[in-house]
Amino acid sequence: MSGRISRRGALGLGLSLPVLGGLSGCGPVGTSGVARSGKTQVTFWSSIRGSHEVVKAFNETHDDVEVVFNQIPTGGEGGYAILRNAARAGNAPDVVTLEYPQVPGFVIDGIAADISDLMGQDLQEKIQPEALARTTYDGRIYSVPNDLEPMLLHYRSDVFADRGYEVPTTWDEFAELGRRIRDEGEGERIAIFPTNGGTYFAGWCQQAGGQWFEARDGAWHVGLADEPTRRVAEFWQRLIDDDVVALMPDGQEFDAMLSRGQILTRLSGAWDAGAQMSARPGQSGQWGIAPLPQWEAGAGSLGDHGGSTFALTSDSREPEAAMEFLSWQVSHPDSMRARLSAGTSSMFPVVEELVGVARETFDESYYGGQDIYSLFAQEAAKVRDDWNWGPRMTSTLNVMQDNFARVPATDETLVDAVRAAEAGTIPDLRALGLTVEEQKG
Amino acid sequence: MSATTMTRDAASDTVTAGRRPRARACALLMTPFFVLMAVVFIAPLVTAVWLSFFTQDNAGLGFGEPEQAFVGLRSYAAVFTDPTFMNSLALILVFCLVYIPVVTVGALLLALLLDTGVARLRPFLQLGLFLPHAVPGIIAAIIWLYLYTPGISPITRALAGLDLEVNFLGVSMVIPAIVNIAVWTSLGYYSVIFYAALQAVPREVLEAARVDGAGAVLTSVLVKIPMIRSSVVMVLLFSMIWTLQLFTEPMLLSQATPAINSRFSPSMYIYDAAFTRNNYGLAAAASVVLMVATMLLSYGMTRLTGRLQRQEAS
Repeated sequence: MSGRISRRGALGLGLSLPVLGGLSGCGPVGTSGVARSGKTQVTFWSSIRGSHEVVKAFNETHDDVEVVFNQIPTGGEGGYAILRNAARAGNAPDVVTLEYPQVPGFVIDGIAADISDLMGQDLQEKIQPEALARTTYDGRIYSVPNDLEPMLLHYRSDVFADRGYEVPTTWDEFAELGRRIRDEGEGERIAIFPTNGGTYFAGWCQQAGGQWFEARDGAWHVGLADEPTRRVAEFWQRLIDDDVVALMPDGQEFDAMLSRGQILTRLSGAWDAGAQMSARPGQSGQWGIAPLPQWEAGAGSLGDHGGSTFALTSDSREPEAAMEFLSWQVSHPDSMRARLSAGTSSMFPVVEELVGVARETFDESYYGGQDIYSLFAQEAAKVRDDWNWGPRMTSTLNVMQDNFARVPATDETLVDAVRAAEAGTIPDLRALGLTVEEQKG
Repeated sequence: MSATTMTRDAASDTVTAGRRPRARACALLMTPFFVLMAVVFIAPLVTAVWLSFFTQDNAGLGFGEPEQAFVGLRSYAAVFTDPTFMNSLALILVFCLVYIPVVTVGALLLALLLDTGVARLRPFLQLGLFLPHAVPGIIAAIIWLYLYTPGISPITRALAGLDLEVNFLGVSMVIPAIVNIAVWTSLGYYSVIFYAALQAVPREVLEAARVDGAGAVLTSVLVKIPMIRSSVVMVLLFSMIWTLQLFTEPMLLSQATPAINSRFSPSMYIYDAAFTRNNYGLAAAASVVLMVATMLLSYGMTRLTGRLQRQEAS
């Protein structure tokens, strides 16, 4: 995600264009085996930018394994469909990129393999536990995290300084500041509620203690409209009703408003710092980054937004070699250097050793010299380690977003959208044969 | 009775010799039809039914090896408890109630107008009416999408000039917007069907009506329409089946407006179940439900009109 730069990449998960999905039957073919050179071949598909450079760096330094790389579209733009079709045809590559919310779905479909026994203890220990928890279901590990993206408050530091606004540390302060901005500015708003941004909303609900899905005791416990989620939804609903935030899709109009300086904060993952630099180079020196507001002053709970993992497929014929590449990719400094050579990125790696590499490469002058990586590290530790994504996350978020978009035109609320997402998900899971415990909120 | 059977048997004996090659020719000529029917209709149908009963089964958390298993009515139970599927059915009902009367009455009016006068313009009008039908549905949807999109549409701009703010892609306007595309596409086609049927109405009958003092309107309502009743039933059936399969237009528009969700119509629900949710059992069950509903409705409609016709005859 982080390397992919565009905010739409993060959204793409929820926005996946179904038309493309159906048409993308023919993709690259991933076959592994022993090449003529005597090297073991491992195939790797990813949409993350810089993967090409990473693979090149790996191949240059390894004599026993050769990685063959194919760039595929992002998941939302058909990448996941290509992958599923390949897996169905029995020729999925050895290693693929999955975003966190996709992991359980790909495991259930038998595409992502259980790697608990293949993954070395040293690698497990190197990876930040909050990240590893997100790819661990029922005590088994199914994917190796690449980056963990804590949610942050990106804000217009120049405007805040000019008008004497203080950076909000709680959501109440955020709402209060939002009202001031609405009243004092000319058509300015503190933020938007993105109607197509189910992953943003999921991040806020994580922070509040929501537990949409929980894989426990052999059953999926589904409770999207739990008390914390309702609290978050009602909070944002009030802001929408009071015209404090704009309810709109995260799209061109939002981009234009950001460029015109009409939106003063963005609440998104760490990766968005780099995306902002690429999208609006002219706003250099105008943005700062702060921790996401908390529900209670001094509380330290956080959700994540974006971030990718690498999974080994069950089709893989060379799991050991694939694992070697995979582990090098997420933990070797050369891998990080190669990835960052492809362009600006502010991804937050899950292996501590690589944070230093990322920090060195990142040009902090855009943020007025702010030490953003220290902030990332501090915030990443607050990310919850007990959050599970659901078995059909794209679809769950799609239904939620469809209903978010109806809020302005109907008398439905954000809470209704959450309930609709739950109601539209349960039959789906039951039809798959999963054991589902619905927890009505 | 036995006498007639015997003569028939005797007769068939005498023609058996000549019948065999004819039967062979018949079989040969019919084969392409049956092959195509088997390949494009029966086989997918059987597959869908099979998939709705035997599908991927993931017990518990679903992290074990997925296996193909008999799941009984599980997929059907899921379809019927899915509020989003029920919403798509409700939507299609509303769509039927708006679209079918509009397109049938509209096409009938046009055909009657063509039939009564404007003789010189007739070929030109017919062509003009039929042309939209020749445009593939996806192209039509793209053209209309352009005409609907606020900011680039000349229509919304013109309306804005009249102080009318209309968002064709808004939640409340989206059904009329799709009905409009559908009517635009099919109106000409149906009116050509009606017009052809009207051509077959015997001229003597119309003359008799004129002699009896009926004007153009009365003749149309009391003579022409009852005489092309079977065409009306056919158009009703066609348009109903078309509506139940509504897919292309909302699918394309859904890319531009959040008011059309990914499970808007039953066909879109099926598509979403298969390709977004990767739930083939669910998709197959929903397809079977849609097919059975279509068959029942078609059967019901033909039965109803048959009864009406018999009542009128007696």
